[in-house]
Amino acid sequence: MEYQLKNISRDNFEQCIKCTVCTVYCPVLAVNPDYPGPKQAGPDGERYRLKNPEFYDMALKYCLNCKRCEVACPSNVKIGDIIQRARLKYDKKPVKLRDRILAETDVMGTLATTAAPIANFMLKLPVVKSAMHSVIGVDRHRTFPRYSGRTFESWFRKQADAQETFKRKVAYFHGCYVNYNNPDLGRDFVKVMNAVGYGVRLLEKERCCGVAKIANRLIDRARHDAEINMKSIRHAVIDEEIPVLGTSSTCMFTMRDEYPHLLGVDNAEVRDDMLLATVFLCRLIDQGQVKLVFRKDYKKRIAYHTPCHMQKLGWGIYSTKLLRSIPGVDFVMLESQCCGIAGTYGFKKENYATSQAIGRDLFESIREAKVDFVATDCETCKWQIEMSAGASVLNPISVIAEALDVEATVKANQK
Amino acid sequence: MNKKGYPKSYDVIIIGAGATGAGTARDCAMRGLSTLLVERFDFTAGATGRNHGLLHSGARYAVTDGESASECIKENMILRRIAAHCVEETGGLFVTLPEDDLDYQKLFIESCQKAGIDAKALDPAEAIAMEPAVNKDIIGAVTVPDGAVDPFRLTTANVIDARRHGADVLTYHEVVGLKMSNGRVTGVEVQDRSTGDIIAIESRLVINAGGIWGHGIAAKAGIRINMFPAKGALLIFGHRVNNVVINRCRKPADADILVPGDTISLIGTTSSRVPYDSVDNMDVTQEEVDVLLREGIKIAPSLAYTRILRAYAGVRPLIASDNDPSGRSISRGIVCLDHATRDGVEGFITISGGKLMTYRLMAQWATDLACKKLGVDAVCLTAEKPLPGSDGAKDRKQTAKSHIIELSTDQKAALGRHGSLAEEIKFGDDIDDSLVCECEQVSVGEIKYAIDKLHVNNLVNLRRRTRLGMGTCQGGICACRASAIMAKRFGNVAALGDLRSFVNERWKGMRPVGWGQTLVEADFAAWIYEGVGGLDAGDLKSTKNDALK
Amino acid sequence: MKYDTIIIGGGLSGLTAGIKLAEKGKKVAIVSLGQSALHFSSGSLGLLGQVGDKEVSSPLEAMKELDENHPYRRIGIDCVAALAKEVKPMFAAAGMSLDGDETVNRYRLTPFGICKPSWLTFSDFITFDKNEPSKIKKCIIINFKGYLDFYPDFIADGLGRMGVESVQATVSVDVVERLRKSSSEMRAASIARLLRGDVIDALAAEINRVADDADADTVLIPAVVGFDSEKPLAMLREKVLRPVYCVATTPMSVCGTRAQLLLRRRFEQLGGIYLLGDNVASGKFASDGRIKSVMTTNLGDDEMEADTFILATGGLFSRGIVADPHKVYEPVFGLDVRAPEDREQWYERDFFAKQPYMSFGVSVDEDFHPLRSGKAVGNLYAVGAVIGGYDALKEGSGAGVALLTALYVANMIK
Repeated sequence: MEYQLKNISRDNFEQCIKCTVCTVYCPVLAVNPDYPGPKQAGPDGERYRLKNPEFYDMALKYCLNCKRCEVACPSNVKIGDIIQRARLKYDKKPVKLRDRILAETDVMGTLATTAAPIANFMLKLPVVKSAMHSVIGVDRHRTFPRYSGRTFESWFRKQADAQETFKRKVAYFHGCYVNYNNPDLGRDFVKVMNAVGYGVRLLEKERCCGVAKIANRLIDRARHDAEINMKSIRHAVIDEEIPVLGTSSTCMFTMRDEYPHLLGVDNAEVRDDMLLATVFLCRLIDQGQVKLVFRKDYKKRIAYHTPCHMQKLGWGIYSTKLLRSIPGVDFVMLESQCCGIAGTYGFKKENYATSQAIGRDLFESIREAKVDFVATDCETCKWQIEMSAGASVLNPISVIAEALDVEATVKANQK
Repeated sequence: MNKKGYPKSYDVIIIGAGATGAGTARDCAMRGLSTLLVERFDFTAGATGRNHGLLHSGARYAVTDGESASECIKENMILRRIAAHCVEETGGLFVTLPEDDLDYQKLFIESCQKAGIDAKALDPAEAIAMEPAVNKDIIGAVTVPDGAVDPFRLTTANVIDARRHGADVLTYHEVVGLKMSNGRVTGVEVQDRSTGDIIAIESRLVINAGGIWGHGIAAKAGIRINMFPAKGALLIFGHRVNNVVINRCRKPADADILVPGDTISLIGTTSSRVPYDSVDNMDVTQEEVDVLLREGIKIAPSLAYTRILRAYAGVRPLIASDNDPSGRSISRGIVCLDHATRDGVEGFITISGGKLMTYRLMAQWATDLACKKLGVDAVCLTAEKPLPGSDGAKDRKQTAKSHIIELSTDQKAALGRHGSLAEEIKFGDDIDDSLVCECEQVSVGEIKYAIDKLHVNNLVNLRRRTRLGMGTCQGGICACRASAIMAKRFGNVAALGDLRSFVNERWKGMRPVGWGQTLVEADFAAWIYEGVGGLDAGDLKSTKNDALK
Repeated sequence: MKYDTIIIGGGLSGLTAGIKLAEKGKKVAIVSLGQSALHFSSGSLGLLGQVGDKEVSSPLEAMKELDENHPYRRIGIDCVAALAKEVKPMFAAAGMSLDGDETVNRYRLTPFGICKPSWLTFSDFITFDKNEPSKIKKCIIINFKGYLDFYPDFIADGLGRMGVESVQATVSVDVVERLRKSSSEMRAASIARLLRGDVIDALAAEINRVADDADADTVLIPAVVGFDSEKPLAMLREKVLRPVYCVATTPMSVCGTRAQLLLRRRFEQLGGIYLLGDNVASGKFASDGRIKSVMTTNLGDDEMEADTFILATGGLFSRGIVADPHKVYEPVFGLDVRAPEDREQWYERDFFAKQPYMSFGVSVDEDFHPLRSGKAVGNLYAVGAVIGGYDALKEGSGAGVALLTALYVANMIK
């Protein structure tokens, strides 16, 4: 008989053998007893939801979507996907105004950038914070990321011609954060890529990766954006034959995994060419194709924090390998754990306490590590750590840009 | 009074607490007879607990046996009313595959209509939309009012109601002899299986509702009933594959019904004659598993890769007509025998044949006969009076709906299992709310309720009352938790021995499908129970601990 | 990426090999598909508890009766004795203390109150000398209110059969109580994560109160203290006025989780790379039959190269071997697995009998090189539960084989 060779079920939900290991590593469960935990919310609950959708439990909204349950699962069950898909399928409550605002990173970014000084000023005002807290439910303790006065895209437009002079090229998915809040990271990326001999292009059209929209159940809008992104990415990878790189682990994770798993947007033919910049660089270095030369006077003590989605991607080794390869870096590896913010989750006032409690041990170990700064691949982890552990945080690409001996690197890569 | 506290004499003693026996006890008690129901193991331990759990519309029999079909549809409608909490109104489909003869469909629909079954032809596309799990290649489909019925709940509800009407119930008491005097049955001798004590109980009438074991019971009165045990094997899939019953529209054959029942789906059955001496221990063979899968996949292709939790088999009591001892002309209809007229033995009735669907009608026939023999003039009300759990059933679903947000998952699950009786379960106390069985959402409170109120002597009984251990892990996590609660009542050594039996009973069903994650599950359970817990095949009373004394 | 050794599987066996090799200065990567079976530890590591029907007192002696293809016999009993001594220091270096030694088994007390032979036991736990009555006169078995995975009645019964008197009590501490807001999540690890700092003080006060009332000389508690270090237990022991010991719970195992976390931490501190949640999908073989590289799900076409590879993928539970309706196979390299073709021969009717499937695993040669189509794979070693031919459950040898084959193989790799 040819059947029953494998059990195939969506998200492997029936591979679960009820071992409960996922519950050990769920960051929410440890601090919020209102959450039923990944086993009950995921595979256990799914059996009941298949029987009758009335068994959907609203407490599933407490899931951070950190996927640490999936990383822990010895049976390869996509627990996080089961939970997120259940939220998308069964939670029929209208999406709150607050959640819509938080999710529309694109729109908000465009508005705020145009009026950055005012926006930044306003977002710091206690009265504004208090109003946001009580009227729309964004927690008053949150420090909002600063908006930049000028978007990365507008800066890049002026560089675009020069970038085309490079023989080898990569496409850059900068993401909302680089565009509206931290164009410096984008500039660092261009600097590093140029130094190793690669020119940078932007995608034909770039929309927000959609992580915040998925988290806030704006599924149609997320799918719409995803399709636009995939069209551009396909054009870059298939037509132009250049890889698409990013500097945000969350954006890359969303486009690589959440698109097919949660949005049903296929990316199979280009998935392997959607990479974090550190992964791309590290592989080239390993293959002896490029070299990085660092400044001799660069001396820093740096701790690396593994964002949840970076852990899920399994790419921590690349970013850390690059950082460790900087001769002047005194490297501290922080134990991989959730910082608690999970994108827009931690901004909601009902989640603030949970969010901070989850990150408590991480903040403590960062304070104990006495480092010059923390490096991490995720922007929301950066906000959380900067606000809660009092350390400044840089993307590994910015660290490399800062430590790079550009002239020597350019020279080393001219062949 | 004997030492169990029951009177020594009854109007009626009913042997066997399957659906039929329990239903007969209810009917007798409701008609005012003093009644004792006696069962050698647990309720539903025989064929009642080992079938499809299908609320037959009767359509399956429409072509071949119009009488059974019309009995079925009538009882179907009655059960929807009186046993709402045991019934899921899923609807059913009869589908024609490319390899089947579409002409049969016409005959099928006509026969259904003749029997009073609402059967309507459906466009295959509509059928696929109604039940996406069905094979997309079907060339024809008919809807019928099939559904799912939980035989455990149904039987328990009958027992509860029998008791409410004054009946006494003895489980784990085996009838070892029939008391005879002057060629007349005057009572039973039962052995308490836990103590070995034998008790004699008198009655004016004994009703044999022993299913396939009724053969042996009748033999104790020197009566021969030609029973032919027919084994039917089934497979349980790990979750709901379908939400509508799917049947194959052809002459009844192997593995042509897929029934959704509570959290799982069931494919069945096979049918094979087995020797009478094997009926106490039915193992499902590899061949049966193969047939069930091969045929099941044809009606629902996803069965090819859906995890199978376990396999089990039941024995149908088929009875040959009295003038045909060879067994060739076998009836699946109801057989109600008055042994006074048939065999010259007074005071003894056998009710057998039939099927789960017609248990109530069988009970009615048996009770009608009993009343006649005892000269009691009382009408049967079992078709009108709802069973406990289904009283107030109409507003139950509404209550559930209006409270849905406040109810926890285990409360919702318990409401589904016990209907209005769920009110007796203690909820709201965080200790009683704690889950013992996580797969099937059984709380401490529900377990305590079952132990206190539902004749629970061991973990297998508890499983039948609550679904504990029926889910994905097959008791791996929960059986030990439940065992600790049971130990408070039954003692530690007994509880651990029982835990071992329970795990073994689960293994019996997992073994025939012991591959993939099902084998991993068994492996995991072995490491927990034996590796961590130290439970092994040895004698529990003299574990190594004694050496340290 | 290139390493000296790549270990597939990050449980007890993989981590042991990884730590030993990293200590030798090797560049080692471990790829682990999810968390390991160590999370279900009983609190004890077994070396050999039973041979045939006989309970074992002296494991090294009893090893002579094992089949000569048994992993211990392949290592050699003298060598087993020597390697066994390395285990305690290895755990100590990772921050864990173990009691016991390889010459004579002690008894551990299971959650069901049954005594089982044990080799090394985490120092949280109570164990008994096989030949001496317990000195405990009266102990108090304390459970957390509403915690279902601990069995005071069974334990009391077991102690009673050993002539130890016991009483029972439940305690509650505020933060732990909150766990029960969720009907399923009062689990061992959830409790353990809360037991630190002030909570330990509160717990100690509660324990002292009930133990005073009971006038007990010893305190037994569920093994739910010390999620990622032994410190909380040390703090508790300092504050409780009587000796405090743990008895194992049913899953999760807190001491097992702790061992996993601390051994991994130790491995990473030694410079090891630990890839969690990644799956080795396949391997590439050179023409001489040696493995060149492996590919993982997360790293895609970035092959992981190494000189030597260690297969530490575990048994059925850890997917080191997989059973389908027709065969049992090793999913990474397609190594030879010995299992009968007839599925009925995989099982015994009695669940608690010796189950043939328990001994399924890869075939290895005398140097623990697995066979592939009958030929040994020269730069691949198998360690731990993935090795076939022995019944770790019945023998009580799971941890012993995992540790000692790993140490043995790590020694062989130059």
